[in-house]
Amino acid sequence: MSNNIIHFYKKRMIFFTISLTLMLVGVISVFVNGVQLDIQFKGGALLKYAYTGEIDADAAADAASALLNRPVTTQLTTDLTSDENRLIINISGNYGMEAKDQTAFDDALKEKFPEASLTLAESSMVEPFFGQKFLTNGITAIALSAVLVMVYVWIRFSRIGGLSAGVMALVALLHDILVVFFTCVLFQIPIGDSFVAVTLSIIGYSVNDTIVIYDRIRENTKLHPNVSIETITDLSISQSITRSVNTNVAVLISVGLIYVLAFYNSIDSIQSFALPMAIGAISGCYSTICIAGPLWVMWNKRKEEVAIQ
Amino acid sequence: MKSKKPVFFIVLFIALLMAYTAIFGVSLTIGSTKIKIPGAPDIRFGIDIRGGVDAAFQPVGLDRIPTSKELEAARSIIETRLDQQNILDRDVTIDKDNGYIIVRFPWKAEETDFNPADAMAELGETALLTFCDENGNVLLEGSHVSNSSPEFDSSRNQYVVSLTFDEKGTQLFSKATKDLTGKLINIYMDKTLIQSARVTEHIPSGKAEISGMGSYEQAKAVSDKINSGALPFSMITKNHSTISPTLGSGALEVMINAGIIAFFIICALLIIYYRVPGFVASIALLIQVSGQLLALSVPQMTLTLTGIAGVILSIGMGVDANVIISERISEEIKAGKTVRSAISSGFKDAFSSVFDGNITVLIVGIILMMFGSGSLLSFAYSLLTGIFFNFVAGVAASRLMIRSLSDYSALRKPFLYTCFSRRRTL
Repeated sequence: MSNNIIHFYKKRMIFFTISLTLMLVGVISVFVNGVQLDIQFKGGALLKYAYTGEIDADAAADAASALLNRPVTTQLTTDLTSDENRLIINISGNYGMEAKDQTAFDDALKEKFPEASLTLAESSMVEPFFGQKFLTNGITAIALSAVLVMVYVWIRFSRIGGLSAGVMALVALLHDILVVFFTCVLFQIPIGDSFVAVTLSIIGYSVNDTIVIYDRIRENTKLHPNVSIETITDLSISQSITRSVNTNVAVLISVGLIYVLAFYNSIDSIQSFALPMAIGAISGCYSTICIAGPLWVMWNKRKEEVAIQ
Repeated sequence: MKSKKPVFFIVLFIALLMAYTAIFGVSLTIGSTKIKIPGAPDIRFGIDIRGGVDAAFQPVGLDRIPTSKELEAARSIIETRLDQQNILDRDVTIDKDNGYIIVRFPWKAEETDFNPADAMAELGETALLTFCDENGNVLLEGSHVSNSSPEFDSSRNQYVVSLTFDEKGTQLFSKATKDLTGKLINIYMDKTLIQSARVTEHIPSGKAEISGMGSYEQAKAVSDKINSGALPFSMITKNHSTISPTLGSGALEVMINAGIIAFFIICALLIIYYRVPGFVASIALLIQVSGQLLALSVPQMTLTLTGIAGVILSIGMGVDANVIISERISEEIKAGKTVRSAISSGFKDAFSSVFDGNITVLIVGIILMMFGSGSLLSFAYSLLTGIFFNFVAGVAASRLMIRSLSDYSALRKPFLYTCFSRRRTL
């Protein structure tokens, strides 16, 4: 047999261990960091001000808390490129604030810190009703996409055992969704709209990777009817591996550039989607090759054994 | 076989034309009609990119969901006030099921003293609708109008606004029309004049018509505004977000720079790695990117950050289609086929996986159209247009170009179609 083929199936236990370890790290980080929902999803109030000079974060928090009658935490950040200072005011509670109250608060805060020349950079007020609606819609969209994609693969690849192909594509998808989720948890990126967009993008990429390999398996099964399913799969993955790597390199270049530029300009909104997208793209490629492929072989070998008995 | 040599240049010309239009936009004058095709500078960006205000208004002290007529009236108040503040580039929609009015408008960079929270608070206040004489004396208030609706008057063959007054309103209106026959009655919302009407006769019945409406839309707009005077509630917003324009423009700049650099790096890699198919793929990519930009700028769809995620996904899929095809062609040549038959079987074999990959993205896109709200809709739109251009550019245009180029004997050398990838067989 040609040594051209990379033996993914034989090494499957290594891959499974890697993935399980990653999942374990993810679960631990959920317990350590907790899941941070964006206020878009949980409701709440957040204000960001640009300021000049010095400002005492605790004094600002106390002032804000006294003005609003709600517990407040504050945080100071500095923009890497423009050196602009920002005061982030996180107001507790899962409800927003009336625009009129915000104006009053704005005026009072500026009066309290006249030297800081505070200007509003960003504000976000979300009522729990809206948060819940967006959250349910987001989860529904992700779940429904994953399931329908599985059904599509099942139907299209009925020649190579439909159901097993569909289920393994779904396993790869779940793997990637979890990786994106754990990335957000680990880097403390709040789960919001962009999480949904990233997850759906990754579903698209991941299932595309899976389809390319299934397509090869289907073709090779026709070409070599008497070769074992294990070899066919290894062959198919090997044949399409440069394609998988090249495509993902292209995606990583674009997303990576976006991340780097967003990082240097401290634009949180872009960073928070570029990072999980980059990691998700790697995961999408890996899960197909190292997880879905070998699992699919295991499933079908098992079926053959049962049939023989 | 007929030579397909010129095809490549036709496709290339179309690609360059699309790219030019997408980047700069084009204005054409054909005869007396001017056609403007908007390009990237005219793309409507969502407020998360360019900065702006996004607020959901809800009624105060109402223990039921407002009727759609009340919501229409409330919307007209908000629209009139936005006009007053000269905010014309805006988006006001009604969420009928939940009784919300959603307002989005940009926060322009030159407005340094703009206070978005103030602006929002003003939008929701109860409107004071007054009917005044020419000297500004108030004749009656909008709360005395029990109904106002747009109607078609077939005898005069024009649209009119029909008004019905309540009991007190009927008396006041009767007196007013008696005193002011032949003179004007002006209708104000807050301090804005929304309509003037000349009194033609004394009207004691409590039913009146304002004639001279140019269209149904005009009649409806006036009638909604008059209805707002009788609105039993004011609106507040507790659900709103604002992004300052400086923050927004930074986001846009990052995306543009990253996009341009990534485009050139990817094209360079494709050409180095895949040679002729890589060169063709770069042109196909240009068509895809330009096409997606035009799909946003021509119908003036709003592009948000998540929409850009959708564009990245689509371009990734477009690169993938070309990579799959190029790898296949290279494999076929290494298997000993001629360039021409390698090209045709390369496309044939690659098509099914490109097709399936795009259909799954289509599924995701359709689901998003159904369940997505706000910025996720922009994502879905980018995905759906992306799939279209994947087939047009990634498959159809690439095929035409490669076939055409392989007609040149200088470009029919197998090494120009083989890449560095190893051919793996049993």
